[in-house]
Amino acid sequence: MFIYDKKLEYPVKIRNSNPRLASVIISQYGGPDGEMSASLRYLSQRYAMPYPELEGLLTDIGTEELAHLEIVASIVHQLTRDLTDEQVEKSPFATYFVDHTAGIYPTTASGFPWSAAFIGVKGDVICDLTEDMAADAASL
Amino acid sequence: MNQESTQQTRCSANQGTLPSCAPLAVPYVPFQQTGSAKYSAQEALSQGTLFPGLDLPFHLMTDGAEVPKTPLTELQALCFVVTELGLYLDTHKNDQEAFRLFQKYAAMEQTARASYEEQYGPLQQTSAAANECYTWLCEPWPWNGQQEAE
Repeated sequence: MFIYDKKLEYPVKIRNSNPRLASVIISQYGGPDGEMSASLRYLSQRYAMPYPELEGLLTDIGTEELAHLEIVASIVHQLTRDLTDEQVEKSPFATYFVDHTAGIYPTTASGFPWSAAFIGVKGDVICDLTEDMAADAASL
Repeated sequence: MNQESTQQTRCSANQGTLPSCAPLAVPYVPFQQTGSAKYSAQEALSQGTLFPGLDLPFHLMTDGAEVPKTPLTELQALCFVVTELGLYLDTHKNDQEAFRLFQKYAAMEQTARASYEEQYGPLQQTSAAANECYTWLCEPWPWNGQQEAE
């Protein structure tokens, strides 16, 4: 099960709004190589793993990726709270804003909602671990 | 899974071992050796990894920004080391040196956490039970960027 620790894993303190930056960073939240994909990939793959080292590792990494998800959301939140209409209209953030305003919605930067099609869970240890290596390389 | 065979040559910090006569058509990842060099807690949090050998930043940024020292960032740094050692031990469960380090940092984290909660409020919902009233809802929530202001 999951317990929530009321702190970020790494501090986020942003003073200035920047909707342009937010419109790109949102992909690290809900995009194919973002933290939502990472957490759900590992937490879903762990069930079919045949060794306790892997059940543990995928559980622990998946848990940490949820912490990363929270960090990215905090970044977007701090970049987009207190925006004027003019700031929104003049930025690429306008199309996200019309549907979500200052809410944090799992989507790619191009506006495609997060999808399980971004992840692979084959239930085969070599396939799944290979997917993990490819995914983490992509996220770099 | 056990790669702890006798190693004649010691690889450098950013290298690992591969199986000899490995089965064909399967990808392999070099296995991290025991006794790897480690950063301090604050350095680890700034760089995003406990191990210099695994410090492989995206090409635009060669050094992590230094995190200012506050009670919260000190706790975050300790938690990060415990997390990193836990991940390492998941695949190196017989590394006794690493396990002792894990025990040491877990104890420090526990102390720092208790001290932080006493001053700033509960970090887990159940910790709110120790207070006179239900303090779980008190600001700041972590995503607002106000915790470091304390």
